[in-house]
Amino acid sequence: MNQQTHSSAASGTVIRAIFLLLLLVASVASRADTSYQALLADESNGADWLSYSGGYKSQRFSPLSQINPANVDQLKVLWAYQMQPPSLGGAGLQETTPLVADDIMYLTESPSSVTALDARSGRMLWHFVPDISEDVLNIGFPRINRGVALLDDTVYVATLDARLFALDAGTGAVRWQTTVADNSVGFSLTLAPLALDGKIVVGVSGAEAGVRGFIDAYDATSGERLWRTFTVPAPGEPGSETWQGDAWQTGGGSTWLTGSFDPELNLLYWTTGNPAPDWNGDLRPGDNLYTCAVLALDPDTGEMQWFFQYTPHDTHDWDANQIPVLVDGEFSGEQRKLLALANRNAFYYLLDRETGEFLLGEEYSYQTWAEGIDENGRPIVIPGTDPTYEGNVVWPSLQGATNWFSPSYNPRTEQFFVANRRMGAMYFKADVEYQPGTPFLGGGEQAFDGDQASGAVLALDVMSGELQWEFELQTPPWSGVMATGGGLVFGSSNEGNFFALDARDGQALWSFNTGAHIRTNPMGFAVDGQQRVAIIGGQTLFVFGLR
Amino acid sequence: MKKLIALLHRSILLSVMGLSFTGVAFPLWAQDLENGRQLFQTLCARCHGILGEGGEGPSLKRAQLSRAPDDDALMAIIVGGIPGTGMPGSRQLRGGDDRDVAAYVRSLGQLPPESMPGDPEAGRLVYQGVGNCSSCHILQGEGIGIGPELTGVGLRRNAAYLRQSVLSPEADQPRVVDRFRGSLNAFLTVRIVSERGNYEGMRINEDEFTVQMRDLAGDIYSFDKADLISYEKAFGHSFMPGYSAVLNEQQIDDVVSFLMSQRGDLQ
Repeated sequence: MNQQTHSSAASGTVIRAIFLLLLLVASVASRADTSYQALLADESNGADWLSYSGGYKSQRFSPLSQINPANVDQLKVLWAYQMQPPSLGGAGLQETTPLVADDIMYLTESPSSVTALDARSGRMLWHFVPDISEDVLNIGFPRINRGVALLDDTVYVATLDARLFALDAGTGAVRWQTTVADNSVGFSLTLAPLALDGKIVVGVSGAEAGVRGFIDAYDATSGERLWRTFTVPAPGEPGSETWQGDAWQTGGGSTWLTGSFDPELNLLYWTTGNPAPDWNGDLRPGDNLYTCAVLALDPDTGEMQWFFQYTPHDTHDWDANQIPVLVDGEFSGEQRKLLALANRNAFYYLLDRETGEFLLGEEYSYQTWAEGIDENGRPIVIPGTDPTYEGNVVWPSLQGATNWFSPSYNPRTEQFFVANRRMGAMYFKADVEYQPGTPFLGGGEQAFDGDQASGAVLALDVMSGELQWEFELQTPPWSGVMATGGGLVFGSSNEGNFFALDARDGQALWSFNTGAHIRTNPMGFAVDGQQRVAIIGGQTLFVFGLR
Repeated sequence: MKKLIALLHRSILLSVMGLSFTGVAFPLWAQDLENGRQLFQTLCARCHGILGEGGEGPSLKRAQLSRAPDDDALMAIIVGGIPGTGMPGSRQLRGGDDRDVAAYVRSLGQLPPESMPGDPEAGRLVYQGVGNCSSCHILQGEGIGIGPELTGVGLRRNAAYLRQSVLSPEADQPRVVDRFRGSLNAFLTVRIVSERGNYEGMRINEDEFTVQMRDLAGDIYSFDKADLISYEKAFGHSFMPGYSAVLNEQQIDDVVSFLMSQRGDLQ
């Protein structure tokens, strides 16, 4: 009896040990551990999608080719995930790009929640809801979030009330949190953070409340702030000569979209938004550096290495917060490291990303405010195009010829794809006085929308900006594009269609009606060697594949 | 002194706007309409239009706001937004600013009382008789629904708009505001040629790949754009005829008055 018991206990111990071992294997297999080395290789790794733009170059290019023009018409929904009811009134627009690491998908839900899903089945693994007060301020933008960052075994999310959280990737438990800025004066965070080697970089929203913008880096392990670089210089600092009086203190220049990184040059590229107040430029004479610009920063110190201002003294709310796409190739017979950006102001720009030298500025969308871009990269502004008290018609509208939603670059064909908004607006100027935590706009706009506006997906030659083809959209889009190694371009529309275009000529080869507006970017990954593409329509995430 | 100037300013503004105190729910003298106007311009105009005429959001130049039947409801919406729609809350409004914005929004709909140009009862006979309006409009549940429903139209439209709609209906057609797609013509004439035949009607919906249309018989069609031989959007065209050749001046005044008198829901 005793013997038997002992024997039974012994076999039980063995079974428990095997079970524990299996559990360990299973947990190791399904826990994201996204090393910096893995982030460096994100571009060529088709199975995962480890950062907001699918790699440090921000090309939003999925190298996978299983889905191609010959079989894309067989694409079908494999699973869907319906988002949780928003934890906050006024939230509910979904602008996130899901990330996938080791078969686990991480996405944010408006306003700042994080969800982990089994990327094979769509079953939820964990869900994190930060405690955000109903009184949270979001001045000038909706209560949204664009996604997380991954580094090692941690998930990072920036929140609407201007905090940064580090979550355990396996469980969603909070490792640390820190307050980035004061939400009560209008600071907010909506962007997906960018993970570098041991540090997390974030930017802020809030120019519509007259904040002074900055870019921050935090220690990934401790949450300690490593550096802060302001985008509007204080008196005496370089660039301060482009401001007068105290205007710099409420100068705007927010940094609300994820940047790019060149590990070889060790340069971090981050874009900046409009000067404040938006539409009344009389209150802030000068070029208003470093608003509406791209900054090249030393990621170790935050020190600015060079800058390029796309729209000096902007008065139309044309933030330069678009994705800076890093491109390597031959420009004018010379191999160059380039930075391509399709700007809200309707011009497509190429810069040398080593030096910031301006190389090209070409109109890619109808506009009425500039005769062109001069040899130094400065717009030749047409007089009388500023907002007025009575109203002044200018193209594009304040939402721009494109906006935060992502472009895509196929390095194999050197094609740059961008979703294009075609809409003009009546711009108004108004008097305004700064009061902390209230709108600081100095005017407004009446957009020509609906039947008077339209949109398109454009394919541009990356080196010349020349239009190769366009696919017309019914209304100005709020969603980005993704090119693939299979020769496709995925895009979507306000009308709710998710579609695949032939990258060669822009012909639509497949489409799916998600049943609701689409307001985010496509992304791609693979499960068990099978290619997947994902998009969110309304409150539902759809994952597509051939099988 | 400052207070006095502010009050004076308000009374000037009120007279400029042609407001009367009668029927105004908020005691407007207690509100700072100029403050409300400025806040509206910065917070609301992006969607509702600089003059409240609508855009991405609906027009607020109407006497009755469907979601805000009273002042408390209106303030709750301004501050708290409308969950599940594009209307965000403006929680930053403090110290009576919410009341000022609400008063200004109310003022947008307080159009000066319009006197009727004719006799609404005579207009009813025109509507039912020579006008034959119910052959294309539903009013109080009766008629055929090809053109816009006219139940309660006197709350939504002023005399000038109604007169223009009777005489030149193509000049300013009703629009439907979609949160994401903007302000779209709700009765746009479309002409479609496919291999199966020629079709003419009003657009119901449209995307990159398809278009849905209702013809004058009320039949609904759906087309794949790729299959069409031609597709024309006839902006500035209306299937409703202008009535200047059908009705005399008195009859037009009467039918406009009849439509102005339609100020309620189903009775």
